[in-house]
Amino acid sequence: MTLKEMYQAFDGDYNDVMGRLPSESLVKKFVVKFLDDKSYQLLTDSLKNGELETAFRAAHTLKGVCQNLSFTRLYESSHAITESLRPGKLQPIDTINQQLETVSKDYETTVSAIRRYIEQDN
Amino acid sequence: MVDNKVEKILIVDDSEMNRAILTEILDKRYELVEAENGEAALEALEKHKTDISLVLLDIVMPVMDGFEVLAVMNETHIIEKIPVIMISAENGTGHIKRAYDLGVSDYISRPFDAEVVQKRVNNTLMLYAKQRRLVEMVTDQIYEKQKSNSILVNILSHVVEFRNGESGMHILHVNTLTNILLKLVCQKTDKYNLSEEEINLISMASSLHDIGKIAIPDNILNKPGRLTPEEFEIMKTHSAIGYSLIEEVPYNKDEPLLKISSEICRWHHERYDGRGYPDGLKGDEIPIYAQVVSLADVYDALTSERVYKPAYSHEKAVEMILNGECGTFNPMLLDCLKENGDLIQDELKVQSFKDFDKEEIVRITDEMLKRDLIKDDNTAAASDVSTVSF
Repeated sequence: MTLKEMYQAFDGDYNDVMGRLPSESLVKKFVVKFLDDKSYQLLTDSLKNGELETAFRAAHTLKGVCQNLSFTRLYESSHAITESLRPGKLQPIDTINQQLETVSKDYETTVSAIRRYIEQDN
Repeated sequence: MVDNKVEKILIVDDSEMNRAILTEILDKRYELVEAENGEAALEALEKHKTDISLVLLDIVMPVMDGFEVLAVMNETHIIEKIPVIMISAENGTGHIKRAYDLGVSDYISRPFDAEVVQKRVNNTLMLYAKQRRLVEMVTDQIYEKQKSNSILVNILSHVVEFRNGESGMHILHVNTLTNILLKLVCQKTDKYNLSEEEINLISMASSLHDIGKIAIPDNILNKPGRLTPEEFEIMKTHSAIGYSLIEEVPYNKDEPLLKISSEICRWHHERYDGRGYPDGLKGDEIPIYAQVVSLADVYDALTSERVYKPAYSHEKAVEMILNGECGTFNPMLLDCLKENGDLIQDELKVQSFKDFDKEEIVRITDEMLKRDLIKDDNTAAASDVSTVSF
């Protein structure tokens, strides 16, 4: 599996990220680093505890990171939940939960593709 | 590269991942400092101060967000010295406008292009470095100009003193006192609204207050005993003569130094109750600077030794002035004198002709630049000029 194929596996935009960041090795470095990023975990935890402001920030961070790495599909779902959690524009909890499901699904797809890529690379 | 030294950039973002990406993009060229929220950013700014040449600032962060950081940087005026580039996934024009209103130099939206970030960072650093250099140059120029002006005025006033056979210290004392009193007046009231630059100019002009004595005959000017009423009448003409001397200088008519010094010459013997000379002006008809020089003149005459009297103490001198033994003065001025005895005595002790210390010139330059920017701001629509001011 090449880096490009990995991007395709979770609907990321390989050409976009390669256009913006200086080298493939750097993109690879950050993609691997994404596994350690805590924002998804923080989003689910804080939603479970009803901490909506923290949830907003976590979703916002996740969205920003996905933008930087051109994880298009995960970006779109995390963007949607960010807007539903935005202070002052809070959406009904059902909507948020539904959106969280999508984010979780996209996150799992992304993370498992990255793991497969790393394993096979070794 | 702007200077030889590596410039320091503060990266503020709550996501380690985002900081890592920026670090990767900017590393090697700059020294990088990281902060994970607004509070940590302010701590880093406090610690490194203007060693930091640029801040890259995220908006949405825990503890303290980017806008709050900008608000504090505005309050403390750090924003005028350290440029900020905002980097955010918030792409609504509302956020971008608000960031510019709070003085950021640039706004980079996510997802960003590595090369564009490098270029924008570099441009902002260059612009600020250039601006800093220009401000330094202007400051040096003003310093040199003030210095040569003050040397010339000192020579001129010393010539007059020399002929008077006075101590040589009187001009210096009046200069220092005028400076302190005007600053005290400005603390007390915003009625006169004098800038530090104007106060300096007035202090310099005060040195010329007795220049009209150049036209008083030697036998009167240096008479050891009391003057006869006729002689005193001649002596009194020195104020109007001083005015004419300066007023008739055929060039630089519009120079504030000429206007102020001529008026100080003419009116430094006016009295607040209207019983002074030559014009019998009353109250605030007498320009505040002439009132101040008048008080400084009297105070120094009392606290200095003369052929006909010993030097009185500060307390004795103030008492005599407050009792109205030496003329009448603006009550507000008398309050300044009464309330700041220690300060005045201290300043007179350490005084020397101020070679216009650098710090003061920096403040004056700053004042001038701000004034020009306000003018620009009024004429040039809503563009945010303050981001490039210092």
